[in-house]
Amino acid sequence: MFKLEEILNILSMLILISAFILVANKRVNSYIKTFRLQSMLLAAAAGTLGIYHMAAERKFDSAIIMCLLIILLKVIFIPGMLNRICKRVEYKVEKDFFINIPISIIICCGLAILVWYVISLIPDIKGAYEIMFLTNSISLVMIGLFFMISRKKAIGQIIGFLVIENGMFMAALLTTFGMPMIVEIGIFFDVLAAVLIMGVFVFRINESFDSIDIDKLRNLRG
Amino acid sequence: MYILLLMIIPLISCGLFWTTNKKNVINTINACGAASLLVVSIIVIWDVLRNEFVSPAFFNNIFYIDALSALILFVTVSVVFLASVFSIGYMNEELKRGVINIRRLKLYYSLLHVFVFTMILTVSTQNMGLMWIAVEATTLASAFLVGFYSNKKSIEAAWKYIIICSVGIAFAMLGTVMLYYSSVHSLGESAQGLNWQYLFQSSDRLQGSILRISFIFILVGFGTKVGLAPMHTWLPDAHSQAPSPISALLSGVLLNTAMYSIIRVMAIVNRNAGSNMFTGRLLMALGIISIGTAAVFILVQKDFKRILAYSSIEHMGIIALGLGMLSPLSVFGALYHVLNHAFTKSMLFLASGSIYLKYETKIINKVQGIFKIMPVTGTAFMLGLFAITGMPPFGIFSSELNIIMASFNGKKYIIAGLLLLFLALIFAGFAAQMFRMFYGRPLSKETHQGEINWPGTAVLVILLLIITVTGLYLPYPVNELINRARDIILLPAGG
Repeated sequence: MFKLEEILNILSMLILISAFILVANKRVNSYIKTFRLQSMLLAAAAGTLGIYHMAAERKFDSAIIMCLLIILLKVIFIPGMLNRICKRVEYKVEKDFFINIPISIIICCGLAILVWYVISLIPDIKGAYEIMFLTNSISLVMIGLFFMISRKKAIGQIIGFLVIENGMFMAALLTTFGMPMIVEIGIFFDVLAAVLIMGVFVFRINESFDSIDIDKLRNLRG
Repeated sequence: MYILLLMIIPLISCGLFWTTNKKNVINTINACGAASLLVVSIIVIWDVLRNEFVSPAFFNNIFYIDALSALILFVTVSVVFLASVFSIGYMNEELKRGVINIRRLKLYYSLLHVFVFTMILTVSTQNMGLMWIAVEATTLASAFLVGFYSNKKSIEAAWKYIIICSVGIAFAMLGTVMLYYSSVHSLGESAQGLNWQYLFQSSDRLQGSILRISFIFILVGFGTKVGLAPMHTWLPDAHSQAPSPISALLSGVLLNTAMYSIIRVMAIVNRNAGSNMFTGRLLMALGIISIGTAAVFILVQKDFKRILAYSSIEHMGIIALGLGMLSPLSVFGALYHVLNHAFTKSMLFLASGSIYLKYETKIINKVQGIFKIMPVTGTAFMLGLFAITGMPPFGIFSSELNIIMASFNGKKYIIAGLLLLFLALIFAGFAAQMFRMFYGRPLSKETHQGEINWPGTAVLVILLLIITVTGLYLPYPVNELINRARDIILLPAGG
């Protein structure tokens, strides 16, 4: 058998790679596909953790519920909803980014290295795996943030927000083996509500501005 | 059990709105809900004053109210009560003009009460994770309220609000995860692992370096919600585009609840480090930057609600400054400032709502002769402007004086000098921009003389009385609450 940490390490690496794929994507449809892939990997991580703990302690572990919730919400429901929004909000295929893709990838690499450097400076975080886990998840958050500011479409911003949320969740899952149950369910509920509300606003932006280009939102300044 | 009632009442009133279609019934439910909330919270606060804290023993003591939360709770429910009473007149007027229909009215009130629920949840829980969830929920509940008018500007403001605040808050979540990580590693897994009381009492066993990075994340995250510069960009838009009673709640209450979450984490980190070196420097830096940013931007605004919004950034900066210095005088000043700012700013926003209804514009140049048209509102607004810029005898003057004195006592002359300079600039900005609205005669002949409605005007007068009284004399229960809250935040003497 593999060690639990090794499997989780590989999965967290794959999740980070999926974030790089996301940055390289050009169209809104492929953003949604990549996000779905990333959530599946996250669900796999939660599932692995749950199964290992159940096998070791012979009692039910809440990570399994998390795994199911991730599959239900982030793999099936939210991507489906975003796809429906995409279909209803008619948009032309046009350039959607401020910074071109090769430079974006280099910036993201730089972000990951910076995060690794900062994390390894903290004296109380010991253990190679913990440094890796924290580096991967905080890099995911940073890349999500970068993705948000580098895209013009409202849907791109929603995806960026979801990637940040995934990063947060990964940090909680891998470093503390899950927060208390009530907190995790609350977080899920918040994310779901946030995405639904953002979806409604995408429609309203589309109605008022005839486009979902965030660049056009510049009435309020200073 | 009263703590549970605090959270159940707003949810019940939220549900009740959807059972009726009559305007008067909706207004009654709103007023009764807000009034009963006020009564119940006074009972809870009374309990806190008699005992050290209230914490019912279920769900691992997830609910916990001590003097600090009681103070914020008191501010919250009082402002909520006054703003809901004001909403009745304001929304009836909008209904009469056909800006909204009865369905939108119900949506408005139910979202308002959900918003209140989330804010009360923030201050009455001690589980840091649940606190995060509640703060995020405040954004979600108020996003539609910010975009309530559904025009181009308000949708833009709401989009900015929900995106910037949700992302900011995500960083606070990372901070909370780090806090929990440290708790699990040094104290072992425990059902209470995220409870503030538990973390606070065993703070010397947590790992300092992890707590420091956690504090940075939490300061950036909740600081976005507080509106500290440079994370403040959502604030002027959201405050200026929301309906005025909502602006009053956003500015007077929401910012304080977010600040409350920062205070909780700050207390743990300070106690762990044994000094305020780390948190103090960060808070003071952000505070001064916020005050400076506000001072500059106030000078160039054209919209009177935006000026008030920038002034909120300034006052949050002052509170952060007071907390950062962490001397008994400055913390007292900061908490006292929370109270004063909440009442003064909500009064100004409500008065600006009446002016907006009367003149149907928010542009300063198009508003003239308020004294002639609305004598009572005009007087209240004018005195409120004096109060918010720190003129005696109002509350803000006393609390700012406390903080400035504390910075001189602590030999922080540069900070004190900058603070005084920015306060003078802000006063000049307010005087140059706002005072011309009061004199002359209105530009349009359509503007009729008379106050907009009596409940709204009564609310303004009550708020004016409150801020005048708190400037001169602090009633015993409030004084006691502030003192006890200060003792919670301060490090133990000699430690």
